[in-house]
Amino acid sequence: MSTREILLQIGQVVTVLLVAPLIQGIIIQFEERVQRAQGPGIFQPYRDLWKLFHKQIVVPQTASWLFWITPVVAFTCMLTVPILIPVLTDFPLPLSDMGDILGGGLILTLGSFLINLAGLDTSSAYGGIGSSRAVMLAILAEPTLIVVFVGITLLAKAMLPFVVNHLLVANWAVYWSPAHLFLVAAFFILLLVETDRMPIHSSTHIEVYMIEEARILEYSGPLLALLKWSSAMKQFILYTIFCNVLVLPWGLSREGTAIGALGAAAGLIVKFVLVGCIVVFVETAQSRLRFYRYQEPLAASFVLAVLSIIGSQLS
Amino acid sequence: MLIQHLSPIASSLFSLLAIASLLLSFVMLASRWLKNYLYAFAAESWTIAALSAAVGYYGSYPELYLIAILTLFFRGLLLPYLIWRIIRRLEVDREIHEILQPSSALVIGALFVMFALAVSYRVAAEFHLELTVAVVALTVMLSMKLIGFLMLAVRHEAISQVLGLLVLENGIFLGSQILVPGMPLLIELVILFDLLIIVACFGVLVGYLLTHVGSTSTLGLKRLVG
Repeated sequence: MSTREILLQIGQVVTVLLVAPLIQGIIIQFEERVQRAQGPGIFQPYRDLWKLFHKQIVVPQTASWLFWITPVVAFTCMLTVPILIPVLTDFPLPLSDMGDILGGGLILTLGSFLINLAGLDTSSAYGGIGSSRAVMLAILAEPTLIVVFVGITLLAKAMLPFVVNHLLVANWAVYWSPAHLFLVAAFFILLLVETDRMPIHSSTHIEVYMIEEARILEYSGPLLALLKWSSAMKQFILYTIFCNVLVLPWGLSREGTAIGALGAAAGLIVKFVLVGCIVVFVETAQSRLRFYRYQEPLAASFVLAVLSIIGSQLS
Repeated sequence: MLIQHLSPIASSLFSLLAIASLLLSFVMLASRWLKNYLYAFAAESWTIAALSAAVGYYGSYPELYLIAILTLFFRGLLLPYLIWRIIRRLEVDREIHEILQPSSALVIGALFVMFALAVSYRVAAEFHLELTVAVVALTVMLSMKLIGFLMLAVRHEAISQVLGLLVLENGIFLGSQILVPGMPLLIELVILFDLLIIVACFGVLVGYLLTHVGSTSTLGLKRLVG
């Protein structure tokens, strides 16, 4: 374990921490531009965070200790996951053997689990509705995610994201195999669900159909800033897994030099802009559905994951 | 037999086309609108036509080119056009009474695919066809047949039922293209004309339903005597 590797590992976490609001801003700006509006600019999430950190905290009288620890735990979870996945380098760094893909998924889910509890904790109507909706989605999304992970494991014969990355870079036949393409499609649907961009989610927040926003409606000030930041980081982490492990496994630093790491970070932004364009296209082209249609895309994702497992069994 | 000495490229191309048509039958299973249903059917027929052209190219069966053109014309253009004319004549453009939600239908379809995989492993072992492409062809054939049966069972609109029947037939055709590509041309022609007659019969049935029952749902057909 050399100093450089430790620095790189810290760099991975810092990249996620600092670039996540930028990706959020870019996607929101694209969306506004597609709708022929001016848009708030790509740096708006940073300004929002800055503003929120300088505000006072107001806590509901009904809130318990859960309300206080949730933002901290959610933020810490999002700081832990980048250690486990290839953000900048395509080789494992110190402590990245702490957990495999399932471990990363577990930590990501822990964050949303606590946010669900906090939404229920204040016993406000909106928090309860948001939590129950989020749980309804999670009931179908999590098993599908596990099936996708099983598919990845069967494809690469390993549960480590680094192995999958190397396999896809080295082997074009695996990259274009039906098993891999189905996994990509299944994970893309899950990505939309987890980052709040399904056709059933509302594009403008703070309205009756909100899901994610409703759970954190009671928060204010720095606590709200932590939650918003962690949701931007969650989006960044899921995009990283989607790009660096599944779709675009190229452009990571092989040697671990400073220039390589910076180049990988720049490449990451380019990849995310590409994925963001597709996400914005889906969100704009597909008309909004009522909430109870939520099973259909998730069932499609499940079918794709099952087909991918069958495909990987055959080859 | 052709499939026992295929180049890797050909075998992966066949698998890709077969799996693409299986995916399109899933699209049909999940669509609520009859138009989308029809477009997915046409696309599936084109995929199968491409598959028979590919088999003809790699196995050097010149008559398969003719079959590919016939498939493209009959299954890909003529049958969808006839069904589209029936749909246009009706006021129904979606399945109104769903027995099974599209999402549940998708999950059941996935279970069917698993079942088909298990069966085709057994069948392939019995006939000593332990090649990937043979198992893929058998799996896709069986699961498209099962999905066709599922569509026939859970949908009432007469149009959906004829499309379910056609999917079933497409599955058999796809399997036969890969597994026994030297099938005589005459049989293919007979099957194509059979399909035309099926669609014509359903056109008559839809007309009958409209005049006597007042809707196009086959649930109205309860009496056995005419």
